[in-house]
Amino acid sequence: MNLFLWINLDPGAISTDHLMLAVIGYSVVFLALLLLYLFFRQLPKLLAFNLRRKLRKEGEPEKAAMAGSAIPGEVNAAIATAIYLYLSELHDHETAVLTITKAAKTYSPWNSKIYNVTHFRRF
Amino acid sequence: MEGILRFLSYSGFANVTAGHVIMILVGLVFIYLAIRYEYEPLLLVPIGFGILIGNTPFLEHAGLQLGIYEDGSVLNYLYQGVLKGIYPPLIFLGIGAMTDFSTLISNPKLILLGAAAQLGIFTTYLGALLLGFSNPESASIGIIGGADGPTAIFLSSRLAPHLIGSIAIAAYSYMALVPIIQPPIMRLLTTEDERKIKMKPPRSVTKQEKVLFPIFGLLLTGFLAPGSLPLLGMLFFGNLLKESLVTKRLADTAKNAMIDIVTIILGLTVGASTQATTFLTGQSMLIFVLGALSFMASTAGGVLFAKVMNVFLSEENRINPLIGAAGVSAVPDSARVAQMEGLKADPSNHLLMHAMAPNVAGVIGSAVAAGIMMSFLM
Repeated sequence: MNLFLWINLDPGAISTDHLMLAVIGYSVVFLALLLLYLFFRQLPKLLAFNLRRKLRKEGEPEKAAMAGSAIPGEVNAAIATAIYLYLSELHDHETAVLTITKAAKTYSPWNSKIYNVTHFRRF
Repeated sequence: MEGILRFLSYSGFANVTAGHVIMILVGLVFIYLAIRYEYEPLLLVPIGFGILIGNTPFLEHAGLQLGIYEDGSVLNYLYQGVLKGIYPPLIFLGIGAMTDFSTLISNPKLILLGAAAQLGIFTTYLGALLLGFSNPESASIGIIGGADGPTAIFLSSRLAPHLIGSIAIAAYSYMALVPIIQPPIMRLLTTEDERKIKMKPPRSVTKQEKVLFPIFGLLLTGFLAPGSLPLLGMLFFGNLLKESLVTKRLADTAKNAMIDIVTIILGLTVGASTQATTFLTGQSMLIFVLGALSFMASTAGGVLFAKVMNVFLSEENRINPLIGAAGVSAVPDSARVAQMEGLKADPSNHLLMHAMAPNVAGVIGSAVAAGIMMSFLM
């Protein structure tokens, strides 16, 4: 049984309208995602707009120019590691008073004779 | 005696056909692939089992209300969610709540790869017309190249409901076979040096950017292609639930319980819709062939466009063309394939994070393409 016997290629089936749909459709997909690209490329700068204005007012044009520019992942990782190491080095407040507390050990099953006498096993 | 004979006439043994046996074997292959090789198990197990349910023979037209195409049957009620296009947007809600768009926001030029990789949708649309399919049928077949099951089901439920079974099975099959279909095309279209390109690590993304992405993403794409709103509206809504950090409970439900329930019902009913009597036709076989071609063309489109972009990019901003193949949605399998191929060329080159950007852009791209097709053809 050949399921493909009835295949009949018909070049006339593709009209100009069909071609237009394919071309316009593909272009609109590109356009939609191009809009997203353009918007999100500018977004960090838009979000840093107030900060830049403030820095300019404070007379720091160099910092203002840098505001909103991307911080590379490696830099972030280095900062995070430095903070982690710094915090792990910190100690709680210590009194600096050394104490030796005697361990209260009333008995041990290994050395208490009375334990062996009173806790014998029953069979 | 008459009672026994009557009982036998109702049994599967009396009504089995070669078609039923073939489809049962297909269902078993799906289940085997899912369990043995873990190819998309969350989809292939429900679909495979659905095929077994849909192709267990019984006496049709006896008013038993058993088959998925019989009014009043339980399966028919569940199938309405597929036919009316209810399940795909709910799946998109869950996907939105699961997806982290950070890599895409951090390197937005990779969004364009998600657009380029929709090439297969439109070339296959023309190919299907050439083979004699009608205009709406061709658009529904073409969308298989978007490698996005819910989008394919959604568009075909609107344009060609009679082809839903074939299109859904083709789309999900090829999504499961991404690790087999894509690598040869990726290697064919790239040089060894291109595969070794190391990309700049992505920058960190602020919470503000993450919250603004779903809002402006919806407005920008929705205004341009309103037909994609049922899918993209839910996708971006789900993402806002996740990124706003104030609706954690809703996001958790969307990405866990809800998407699981819908996936179970969708997979099972789509599988059951492949009843041999309606599914096993030459037309279905052609849809499978066209779907494969569509998938390949989309992969090639993404890879080639990445190469074109490299012509205009500086040395330090160059893109590894392998990640172009991830533009065909199939999240996250195609991104994983890009990672594996990258590692084969250079064991220290990890592309997964970069590949996730075109991967999620591909989801948006295929939904926009579906919206455009709907706007033109409905």
